Amino acid sequence: MPDARELPLSGVRILSQAIVWAGPFGSMILADLGADIIEIESIQHLNPTRANMRHYPDAMLQGPTGAALYNRDASDGFWNRGATFNFAKRGHRSVTLDLMRDEGRELFFGLVREADVFIENNAADVVGDLGIDWPTLHAVNPLLIMVRFPGFGLDGPYAHFKGYGATMEAVVGHTMLRGYRDSDPSLTPPIYHGDPNAGAHVAFSVQAALIARERTGEGQLIEISQAEAVLHHTSYALLDYVMNGRVQEHWGNRHPAIAPYGLFPTRGEARFVALAVDSDAAFAALCGELGCPELASDARFADAVSRYREQDALEPLLAALTRERDERELMERLQAAGVMAAMVAHQDEMTDDPHLRAREFFVTLEHPEVPVRPYPGPMARFRELPLVPVRGPAPLLGQHTREVLGGILGLDDTRLDQLSEAQITGDAYLESAR
Amino acid sequence: MPGPLEGIHVLDLTQGIAGPYATKLCSDYGADVVKIEHPQRGDIARRLGPFPTDEPHPERSGMFLELNTGKQSVTLDLSTASGRGILLRLAAAADVIVESFRPGTLERLGLGPEVLREANPRAALVRISNFGQTGPYRDFRADDMLLYAMGGVLAVTAVEGRDPVKIGLYAPLFLAGAIASAFTLGALWSARRTGRGECADFSIHEALAASMDRGGPNLVAYQYSGGFYFTAQQQSRTTAVPSGVFPCQDGYIMVTAGPNWWDRFCRTIDRPDLIEDPAFVARLYDIDFAPELDALFYPWLFSHTKQQAMEKGQAEGLPVAAINRADDVLNDPHLRARKFWTELPHPLGGTTTLPGTPVRMHGTPAELRHAPLLGEHTAPVLATLGYRVEDLPRLRANGVI
Repeated sequence: MPDARELPLSGVRILSQAIVWAGPFGSMILADLGADIIEIESIQHLNPTRANMRHYPDAMLQGPTGAALYNRDASDGFWNRGATFNFAKRGHRSVTLDLMRDEGRELFFGLVREADVFIENNAADVVGDLGIDWPTLHAVNPLLIMVRFPGFGLDGPYAHFKGYGATMEAVVGHTMLRGYRDSDPSLTPPIYHGDPNAGAHVAFSVQAALIARERTGEGQLIEISQAEAVLHHTSYALLDYVMNGRVQEHWGNRHPAIAPYGLFPTRGEARFVALAVDSDAAFAALCGELGCPELASDARFADAVSRYREQDALEPLLAALTRERDERELMERLQAAGVMAAMVAHQDEMTDDPHLRAREFFVTLEHPEVPVRPYPGPMARFRELPLVPVRGPAPLLGQHTREVLGGILGLDDTRLDQLSEAQITGDAYLESAR
Repeated sequence: MPGPLEGIHVLDLTQGIAGPYATKLCSDYGADVVKIEHPQRGDIARRLGPFPTDEPHPERSGMFLELNTGKQSVTLDLSTASGRGILLRLAAAADVIVESFRPGTLERLGLGPEVLREANPRAALVRISNFGQTGPYRDFRADDMLLYAMGGVLAVTAVEGRDPVKIGLYAPLFLAGAIASAFTLGALWSARRTGRGECADFSIHEALAASMDRGGPNLVAYQYSGGFYFTAQQQSRTTAVPSGVFPCQDGYIMVTAGPNWWDRFCRTIDRPDLIEDPAFVARLYDIDFAPELDALFYPWLFSHTKQQAMEKGQAEGLPVAAINRADDVLNDPHLRARKFWTELPHPLGGTTTLPGTPVRMHGTPAELRHAPLLGEHTAPVLATLGYRVEDLPRLRANGVI
């Protein structure tokens, strides 16, 4: 156990196969809140949160894929040096068990008996194939709360669809609401907005089910369709269709009612300030700050309606002025004047952001394979049971196998050695791992 | 069957989108949520729309109807002494209080954390704000686009060489609200454990920095390698096999494929004869070969609707997605089969079709109930505090309710 101080979810034991990005985002919140989360991994099957592949081609290692590995080092042990895993699985424990073999599965059932929750977002048919589906686990432990969150839910025609976050977002209408105004969706960059959203709903519903269990004395199955959960985010466009039969498409960076609105270039390469000018006073302040007060008195831009109508003309005039300015200075001066302005932050500079520094948002962790680095910290500050410092770094593969199987299931050293010998457990991926 | 949060009392001082989404989840999943609104203005979401026939009406705003399902609306002017007094009595009965005023507002009203704690030492207080309760940006004004810009990933949400392009209207605030809901229950668990009211400071800016798209992992990737694994450059096709967005008969589809799925691609486009064809297999990694594969793909695309293309591809194990519009989504056969949509009767007449519950809790299911009219529950909620019907006209005349 990383440390024993009291936290909101101390004493809650969660088994996790929460993978890729949706899963880890949910388990990170639960771990930050103090749950004892045991990752159930295996040395036969690569955990996709840890690594994309067993052997990285050199071209990939030097490109974006390799950027997620500490020092782009793909030598053995690379699975302990991945950015996503080491970020989101902080404070977790790792146990390896080969669930494809009866012995491994029996040990898993033993852990299920001692657990409150099992969360998993494998492809929809995996738990059935492994013999660890809901009816089985419910019989093993009637108090267990099991959370399953495949992309499209557990039933319905798309239940077995293959896809990624971007796939689900396309189907529920999200992708169509993004994009360049002068382009069809072929230039719309894919994003993964639904992943953290699903994870957040996992963290909410696990805690809700724990409250319900106190009352009902029963566990339950929780099902989250990542697609359905992120569908809510399109409500504005969706309800416009429900109410008015109007089909909205993308506005680029514009707003349906406010102008000027969007990203404006600032000094330097790929630097922008986001502006949302929602009143005459804000527009006058903006024009004043940009050294062009006559724009505010230009009849074409006299009020909100005319600015909206004439935004094609207004935007380049403003852009020519913002281009000469520094985005941070402009943000700070405009905010002081009551104008909604924000710099488009660059992630290579965010650890130096004065606000995030003042709030001590980044936490530092020392990991056995990665020296001290800053990581985004818990997303809320708690006063009574502080969530910071987080309890410890992400676990190495199988780091806690002996501690957990010995401590929770009472296995002795001889048995633990046998399991390791038989490769039911282990701390390094087999050459054949896939 | 009662929802999981049956018996939990939430005092809801949120408005707009992020805070109300967090308390909507509490409400849909069984908590008793009392929403405080200003007697004249009400929640700003009542003015956001969309509105039927585009006519603004505080009881018909789509965003309000979506975000406030099942809550009870009590109007209260917190700038009056009686309003504050009533609020503190409601606070005394709450398990958790959630607020999303601009930082400093609660304190200015004389309802800061210490005052609320005095009224109820055991209730959790969750404070949701754009930039948190402290720090140099605390008082900055922002909306969904600005918070997304400052969260970090927007800078690389772009096609190489072009401006970044934002996400759909309000989506970042929904995400922040979902994350806030998890910390709301975390604060509740803290208070239940210790018997002392937890006080949580939740910053939408920080939540987006860690979550949005792949924000957190990308930040850490930079710390690990000095590079990013999520970049604008990544959007371009890297092999000959079609991958990305393509037009079809009635719109667009998204395909995610590569040479390893060549067989699935061939079966999808009804050309299984090409799977083993050496003239093709040898050149799948050659980007210059892409036009020749496109020449095979496009005729197939234009003879299929996006729905047909998705179903055909998925049947062969190829990740194909229809890029749907709102009308497609509402008629989507999967969502229909799962009975996702909810028809809620509106108190002023008619019904509204709303997205259903995001989480299916099979033991303690959620229940969606219509959003309240402004002040709909003022009288019954005040009655629980001992106010009599004859007290209400005086409060109303004084502008308290």
